[in-house]
Amino acid sequence: MNEDQDKLIAELVEKGLAGDMEPINEIEDRVLRSKAKAALVKAKRSAKPQETEDHVKQVSDKSSIDDKSLSENLNENIGEMVNEKFPGSLVNENTETHIQLTPDHWFEIAGWLKSEPSLSFDSLQCQTGIDIGENTLEARYNLHSMKHNHCTEIRISVSINKPVIPSVEQIWRIADWFERETYDMLGIEFSDHRDLRRILLPDDWEGWPLRKDYQVQETYHGIEVPKMKEGWE
Amino acid sequence: MGVVHGQEMVLNIGPQHPATHGVLRLQVKTDGEVVSEITPYLGYLHRCFEKHCENVTYEQVIPYTDRCDYLASMTNNFGYVVAVEALMDIKVNDRVEHIRVIMAELQRIASHLLGLGAFGLDVGAFTPFLHMLRDRERILDLFEMTCGARLLYNYMWVGGLSHDLPVGFVESTYNFLDYFEPKIDEFVNLLVHNKIFVERTADIGRMPQEVAVSYGVTGPNLRASGVKWDLRKNDPYSIYKSFEFDVPVGEGGKGSVGDCWDRFYVRVLEMKESIKILRQALASLPKEGDIHQSIPKKIRPPKGTIYKRTESPRGDLGYYIESDGTNIPYRLKMRSPAFTALSVIDEIAAGWLLSDVLAILGSLDIVLGEIDR
Repeated sequence: MNEDQDKLIAELVEKGLAGDMEPINEIEDRVLRSKAKAALVKAKRSAKPQETEDHVKQVSDKSSIDDKSLSENLNENIGEMVNEKFPGSLVNENTETHIQLTPDHWFEIAGWLKSEPSLSFDSLQCQTGIDIGENTLEARYNLHSMKHNHCTEIRISVSINKPVIPSVEQIWRIADWFERETYDMLGIEFSDHRDLRRILLPDDWEGWPLRKDYQVQETYHGIEVPKMKEGWE
Repeated sequence: MGVVHGQEMVLNIGPQHPATHGVLRLQVKTDGEVVSEITPYLGYLHRCFEKHCENVTYEQVIPYTDRCDYLASMTNNFGYVVAVEALMDIKVNDRVEHIRVIMAELQRIASHLLGLGAFGLDVGAFTPFLHMLRDRERILDLFEMTCGARLLYNYMWVGGLSHDLPVGFVESTYNFLDYFEPKIDEFVNLLVHNKIFVERTADIGRMPQEVAVSYGVTGPNLRASGVKWDLRKNDPYSIYKSFEFDVPVGEGGKGSVGDCWDRFYVRVLEMKESIKILRQALASLPKEGDIHQSIPKKIRPPKGTIYKRTESPRGDLGYYIESDGTNIPYRLKMRSPAFTALSVIDEIAAGWLLSDVLAILGSLDIVLGEIDR
C-alpha cells in the first residue's frame, strides 16, 4: 500500500465516522473500497478500547519505577511493586512461584503489568481456570514478555458462590477467547467482557463441566447423554 | 447510473465446508462481496479432552494428545512428555533426545506440506496439493516404519519412546532428504512465484506485529509478521540448543510484511531449516542408548504446577499441568496455537472480499481438532 492511498483512506474513514458513507461507496476500485471499509470497521471498533488505554495510562503515570534489573527474583520484585502501587491487592507475601492477587484491582494491575517498561508483559500465554476445592475457583494467567523474555504467573481466587473476576480482554485481546473458554468450563464470570458466551459447548448446555462436583445432565434436547465410565484401571 | 448501495446479508460458511479445514462455522456479515464482520462458532469437534485427562493416568493422556492436532501428532506428544518430564525432573538420554528431534522435524515438514497444499487448494491451485501429499506420504512411511502408525502414533512416552529406530531408518531418512530438498525449489516455481497465486495472496490480510502479539498468535503466523520468535531458539527445550538453524521471518517479498503470501513463504523456508536440523541430528545420532532407560515404573509427579511450551508446526503449544501427587492429573490445560490463530480472523479479515476471507483462513493453517479439543 502506498502513502497516497493511506492518506486517502484516512480521510475517508474520518468522513465515514462522521456518518458520511457516500465517498467510500463511490470509489470505483474494489480493492481500495474494501480497504477503506476495513479501516472504517477497525476505527469504529477501536473507539471503545481507547478509553481504557487512557485509563491505564493514567494509572501508570502515577508513579514510575526506576528501571532496575529484574532478571533475578522477578516474582518477588513484581510482588513488591504491586504492593506499593495497589495496596491490599497481594494476597500472599510468598511469591516464589506465582503471584496471588485479589480480584478487585485486577484490571488496573493487568494494564500496569503490560505498560510498565521494565516488565512489559505484552502477551498472555495461557489463561486457565481450576477448581481447587473448598468452594474456591481460581483463574490463572501465564504472562510473558516478548521484549524481556521473562514469564510470570498470576492467580486470582474467588468463591464458588460468587465467581466474578474483572475481564482483561481489552488489555490482551486473546483473553477474549481464553476467558470465554474458562467461563464455559468452570463458570467463572468475567465482568465487563463484551461478548461472554459459551465457546466450545452449546449455548444451552447446563452446568460447568470442569468443576469437581459436576453432574452430567440426563438428556439434551431429548437425546440421552452418555455417562462417564467410572473405575479406569 | 447512480451508486448502488448494498444491503447487509448474513451468510454461514460451514460447518460442513471444505474451505474451513474441518468442522467450523463462520458467520459472516457481507455487504455485496465485502465482508464486514466474521463470527466464528466453534465446538463442533469438542471431545472433552481436558475432562478426559482428569479421569485417566498420565501415560493414558498421550493418545489423547495425538488426536488433538491430528496433523502433527508427534509434536503434540513431544510437548506433553516434555512438560511431564519437567514436572518429575526426569532427564532422558541423548539417543532419545535425538530421535525425538528427528521425529518432530519430520512431522513439521509433513504438517507444513499439508498446510501449504491445502492453502493452494483454497485459492484454486489443485496440482500443488497432489505434489505435496505425494511427498508427505513418504514421511508417513518413515513413521509407519518406526511405530506402525501413520497418523496417530503414541510414540513418545514419558521418559522415553515406544520403539527404537528400526534397521535402515537412518538411510531411508537420508534418502528422503536427498529426494525432498530439490523438490522444495519445484514448489517454489510451481506456486510461490505463480502470478495467479501472488495476486490472490500478496497484500491480502495483513497482520500487524502488535495485533499478532496481543492476540497471542505464534509460530509461522507470528514470524510472518516480522517477529523473530521461535521457542527452539528463544527458550530452547530438548537439545535444540546444539543445532544450527535460522529463524525465517516475513519480509514482504511480494507485498507487505505479514500478508498471506508471507505466511505461506515462511512455512516454505521453515521446511528448509527443518532439513538442516534433520541432517545435523542424523549425523550426531548416538549409536548406543536404551530408549526405555528413564521410563519411570509409576508416573506420580510431586505436587506442583507447570506450564511448559514447545514449538509445534502451528506455534507455541503449551501444557498447563496441576498435579496433586496422584497418578491422575488434577487439571490439564492445553494451550493450542491454532485456537489463538483463529481468534484473530475477525480482526484481520473484516473488510476484505469473501474470497479473500477464505484465503486468509487458509493462510492461518488451523486444525479444528486442536481448537475444539
